[in-house]
Amino acid sequence: MTDKIEYPMLPEPRTVRLRFKKTGALQYISHLDLQRSFIRILARAELPLWFTQGFNPHPKLVFALPLAIGTESVCELADIRIERDMPCDEILKRLGTASSGGLEFTDCYVPSAKFAEITGTEYTITLELGEDDAKAFSEKAFETLTSSPIVIRKRTKSGEKEVDISGMISRLRIDRKRGNVTINAVLSAGEGNTLNPENLLDALRAATGLPDAETEYSCMRLKMLCKDGAEFR
Amino acid sequence: MFSSSMLKSISKPGRYAGGEFGQIIKDPAAVDARVAFCFPDAYEIGMSNLGMRILYGVLNREENISCERVFAPWIDMEDKMREKKVLLCSHETGTPVKDFDFLAITVQYEMCYTNVLNVLELSGIPLRAENRDDSFPIVIGGGPCSYNPEPIADFFDLFDIGEGEEMLPEIVRLYAEMKKKGCTKHEFLLEAARTIEGVYVPGFYDVTYNGDGTVRAYTPKYEGVPAKVRKRIVKDLDTMYFPDKVVMPYIECVQDRIMLEVFRGCIRGCRFCQAGMIYRPVREKAPETLLKQAKCLYENTGYEEISLTSLSISDYTKLRELTDGLIEWTDEKKVSLSLPSLRIDSFSRELMEKVASVRSSSITFAPEAGTQRLRDVINNNVTEEDLMRSAGIAFSAGKEQVKLYFMDGLPTETNEDLEGIAHLAEETVEEFYRTPGHSRRAPTVTISVSCFVPKPFTPFQWEPQATMKELIEKNNYIGSCIKSRKVRYTHHDAKVSHIEAILALGDRKLSAALELARSEGFRFDAWDEFFDYDKWMAVFAEAGIDTAFYANRRKADDEILPWDVIDCGVTKEFLLRERNKAYAEKTTPSCREKCSGCGAACLGGKDICCPSAGNKGEDR
Ligand code: SF4
Repeated sequence: MTDKIEYPMLPEPRTVRLRFKKTGALQYISHLDLQRSFIRILARAELPLWFTQGFNPHPKLVFALPLAIGTESVCELADIRIERDMPCDEILKRLGTASSGGLEFTDCYVPSAKFAEITGTEYTITLELGEDDAKAFSEKAFETLTSSPIVIRKRTKSGEKEVDISGMISRLRIDRKRGNVTINAVLSAGEGNTLNPENLLDALRAATGLPDAETEYSCMRLKMLCKDGAEFR
Repeated sequence: MFSSSMLKSISKPGRYAGGEFGQIIKDPAAVDARVAFCFPDAYEIGMSNLGMRILYGVLNREENISCERVFAPWIDMEDKMREKKVLLCSHETGTPVKDFDFLAITVQYEMCYTNVLNVLELSGIPLRAENRDDSFPIVIGGGPCSYNPEPIADFFDLFDIGEGEEMLPEIVRLYAEMKKKGCTKHEFLLEAARTIEGVYVPGFYDVTYNGDGTVRAYTPKYEGVPAKVRKRIVKDLDTMYFPDKVVMPYIECVQDRIMLEVFRGCIRGCRFCQAGMIYRPVREKAPETLLKQAKCLYENTGYEEISLTSLSISDYTKLRELTDGLIEWTDEKKVSLSLPSLRIDSFSRELMEKVASVRSSSITFAPEAGTQRLRDVINNNVTEEDLMRSAGIAFSAGKEQVKLYFMDGLPTETNEDLEGIAHLAEETVEEFYRTPGHSRRAPTVTISVSCFVPKPFTPFQWEPQATMKELIEKNNYIGSCIKSRKVRYTHHDAKVSHIEAILALGDRKLSAALELARSEGFRFDAWDEFFDYDKWMAVFAEAGIDTAFYANRRKADDEILPWDVIDCGVTKEFLLRERNKAYAEKTTPSCREKCSGCGAACLGGKDICCPSAGNKGEDR
């Protein structure tokens, strides 16, 4: 055991929010696999987890917004519940030794806001297109993403359907630096109204043929935002 | 290294991404020898293998050796690799496999042989050892299939026969020393074959055959190369290296749990079971060792389940001490215990309560054969009464599903034995209704039947496998005997078992067929969706292989068998004696009741149940 201090029991289990980065190799781990791995990280960290009662006790673990495979993030949030009064910096320290490079815990605090208050997510998408394609692409991309409607086929719980995503994109910025094009945008988030970078790329593929199977590109989630545009905590 | 565009365009990219907690990355410039350790199947299968976990740790523990993992890429990734001409790389550093000093492949089942060849091909390494010059890695084989490595012998430079914890580092250390002196691959292999027990270099033997295709002789080509290679065992399991740190896969694997190895070997001696023979003698770990290791593994993994993995776990002499000790802390941590290999005759309410997860409503037993007569033939030593008693315990505890494992096609089997399978299942259903306090739901008894495959180093190694036609008839006959609608029946594909028998019992002549199979694009034959029996038979025909010669022929008692070049401790005399007792329907007591002089005691070992080595002069 890393530590033998017995932290006092709390009168009520306490919800604690963890902020973490999911980058590099970890971008290829699905949300489901991450959830399962998280439980083991929490166990390795020997946090005083509160378990649900009943037949199949399990720790409480809720993620703010699932992250699609192939997208990195520096702003992930998850809530856990503890039953002993372990300080947040101790939790953070323990998580640090229980996780590996691509999964890095950066903050831990007692939350005041609910995940349901998240309405948008800021992403940056970088495409390595080469000088030849970059200019034409960035112009066309701007035109495409600022037009209305933008119709894509989106997978939903009830099968594929066509949706107009033009109202789900805001604060769009497209930069070009040599052969690399960077798309920065806030995409809407929240129950039934979530737009992923891959959806955006689908729209661009339909309009420009890029990115294709050969294109190297990366997607990064930068911030989760509240309705007023401030970063969600 | 696989590019991100490749990883983004395939299924389950987590198989290739690496980055797991616990992986060991060393600076290639800072080590003397680099080993690529390959499990030739999908990542989630390979990461579940305890042997790989152990050997990865044991090699990386050596300061001047690095060991990295390699798996068979799934078919979508393979297509990409071939299309983009990307070579197979290691997980840890993305180094092409062909740039390593060693490629060590653990060969766990016959149906992965085509994957072994595909891994070589995707690594840019010539398949046959004779076609590889000193610039290629030395290809080492190990694992259960190395007890008859002959069908794949031409593709390997060296096999390590037996347990690798000590042998594999010895091999790599010797290499590192000799490499510094500028020795050639040939010089290294010769030195290894001469000085390291357990090392088998197939290229160092002349193999001749008789006119009828049977083996005439194996003759070492060089002085000092052993005529028979004796398997290595680790003598003391308590002091043996054990992997306290485990690489933690992010994606779901077959074994997502702590695998606690309690002992090696098996005291039982079922006559069809290869594992029960080749892992002799039984060596146990002390409960104190195991309790310490379990705790340590939990702290380093966070897994929510501990599986006690050994053959026939209930034969562990200190099982109660172990489970009691574990339960002291596992309950509080919500960690569950599982015992995957419970024997019917040792099943008890107490044991079930300790291990059963509350959710699981089903329990599995393996009577193996349908009648007492045939169970005596195979030396399974379980009675119908045992089964009914055990099933009754499970039913009275509220379970309503029982799974029963059987084999068909066993030596001396008649229709009566097959009828017995249906009878046992139906009796189990009856037992449910006879049991006071049974669940209100209707019971289901599932029988799962696999086809007998004769395996090297078993008393049945001389037996022919039933023909395909017979196997299919047997499978159907069992189905026709089942009257109860509460009995469900599944059986393995006889076709797979047939190919398995050919490969398990084969000699070096099969390598041509395997090469041909590979050139026809075979791989992942252990996966139903890729296995194609007709294509296999066509390949054998084209290679001029008489499959019946290997699978369906009764071998003469004095025939030289392809695997006779290996000495696994258990003697041929013992195996023959056991075979004859099988014919006489006589059972053999377990090693703990009475030593039967199998020969394995000569290998030594701490805390073994054998009388001290040498006592059984009659066998050696
Ligand atoms: S020597 Fe005797 S006790 Fe030891 S494994 Fe063989 S039969 Fe069993």
